[in-house]
Amino acid sequence: MSVIVTNQLTKVFPGNIRAVDGIDFEVKAGEIFGFLGPNGAGKTTTIKMLNTLIKPTSGTAVVTGIDVVRNPAEVRKNIGYVAQDVGVDEYATGRENLALYGRFYRLDGRTIKQRVKGLFELVDLTGYEDKIVSTYSGGMRKRLDIAMGLIHQPQLIFLDEPTVGLDPQTRVHIWDYIGNLAKAMGITIFLTTHYMEEADRLADRIAIIDLGKIIAMGTPAELKQSIGGDVVTLSPRETGGEQYEEFIRRTQAALADQAFILGTQEAAGELALYVNKGESAAPKIMRLLANEGIEVEALSVSRPSLDDVFLKYTGRTIRAQEGTATTYAQMQRRHGRR
Amino acid sequence: MNFLTDTWFQVARQLRTQVRMRVWIFINLVQPIIWLLLFPQIFKSVSNLPGIGGDYLQFLAPGVVVMTVLFGSAWAGMGLLHDIDMGILSKMLATPITRLSIITSRVIASMVMLVIQALIIFTIAVIMGVRIETGVPGVLLAILLISLLGLGFAAFSNGLALLLRRPEPLIGVINFIAMPTMFLSSIMMPGELLPDWLDTVRHFNPVDYAVVSVRDLVMTGYVWANLWQSLLVLSAWAAVGIAFGTMMFRIKAE
Repeated sequence: MSVIVTNQLTKVFPGNIRAVDGIDFEVKAGEIFGFLGPNGAGKTTTIKMLNTLIKPTSGTAVVTGIDVVRNPAEVRKNIGYVAQDVGVDEYATGRENLALYGRFYRLDGRTIKQRVKGLFELVDLTGYEDKIVSTYSGGMRKRLDIAMGLIHQPQLIFLDEPTVGLDPQTRVHIWDYIGNLAKAMGITIFLTTHYMEEADRLADRIAIIDLGKIIAMGTPAELKQSIGGDVVTLSPRETGGEQYEEFIRRTQAALADQAFILGTQEAAGELALYVNKGESAAPKIMRLLANEGIEVEALSVSRPSLDDVFLKYTGRTIRAQEGTATTYAQMQRRHGRR
Repeated sequence: MNFLTDTWFQVARQLRTQVRMRVWIFINLVQPIIWLLLFPQIFKSVSNLPGIGGDYLQFLAPGVVVMTVLFGSAWAGMGLLHDIDMGILSKMLATPITRLSIITSRVIASMVMLVIQALIIFTIAVIMGVRIETGVPGVLLAILLISLLGLGFAAFSNGLALLLRRPEPLIGVINFIAMPTMFLSSIMMPGELLPDWLDTVRHFNPVDYAVVSVRDLVMTGYVWANLWQSLLVLSAWAAVGIAFGTMMFRIKAE
């Protein structure tokens, strides 16, 4: 059974900004589906169409068997939503926050009481039920936030960038909770992230989204296999300017017509070579470059990561974009609240 | 039915939040007391003017009640702004709650707090020697009048919060509206002492209807002709405010 089915789902914002541009995908019951892409790729906009917060410009989305445009009220009953912003009430206790959401889903007092206990255990906040949330740490708030999205035992939960802004240790903890959640509750999870490790570690299947379009989709293993082999990364002495460009040009010329090299991709001051059997390819590459008198600062061999997948399909790295893209995403987020 | 329970649980949340802000409660109790003590001193020399009746405290007490309600309700939108900014509103909108309850609960919670404040001010005024001509029934009628006034302003303020989205413009606009509506009324001075143009302008100001009638109830008795007029005008004002608030919610929050 499919929990989400979209058909040419599109959102165009004023100014003809195509935030989401005709995407098709399907999420099956019980799976963790990851939406991976850089900031501003259209991930949050997609979530907001699926959870009925905004209306699609065109296309359709059927969530838990219900069309989001025709019957949004029905969809809301079946889904949980954990937004990028931790939307918890700081002046209330953890229990009060959870209970209020229980009421929003029309649960009676007894059911809420029973579930609060279990949920606090699930997110490891037992003992903090009656503490005011303003005394919670960032990670605790996020965990409470996730619990609030689960109070009505939804079929499907949306987690929008669940670990953004958290320190690495807390991030790993949250991953554990999310992993447990899928196992313990059999819930379908739709997760967006711009962290490759997060998608790699949690998701059963991943859609890579960039500039509003899905550019690749599959299990993490399938996506990495699409690279076709290993990745050899060359770093030149100079990472910019004419010398750098000459390095790239000469290197590509030196390595052309070599059968073991499946493709090359240049980005962020490095040259990625997709090769068969990286361990034996590395010495061959060194020799070929030495023959041409090309000097390399560093060479590394790695199994393909999702970042390599992203690089292969877009010609850019997710990492390289983070610095500048964050502010843009924050602006978008502010805009999204409007 | 869902609408009522949704509203109720949110009202409970707002009130709980307010009660937990000790400083806020303290300020709101102390402030009217200061007004009641301070203003009669400042305006000592005017207490013998016509329309005041020799005792400025008696004249001012209804004004302080209306002023407190005016400012309290005019700032009501700040709470919603906080919820928008924290991402609480969009989270709520993704749940099945009835949309309208988000705004009605905020307005009702503001009203509850303002009615409590008004009753406290009346009590303090009586302790300070103010004599209420119409007694307890008059106070209840006064509460009805100021509730309508506050309803309109609170709903209007929430609508503005949805429209403006940022604290800076909201604070500016609220000040821009609340201060003149206070001074363009007979809160501080009886109508007959105001310049002609001001005396005319105040008849377009809902605040003035509230203060005139509450003052009648305290100083004179039941002046039914004015009272009916005030009830009508203030009901209309409340309706306008609610219409604006819900319209903004439909346009801006969905």
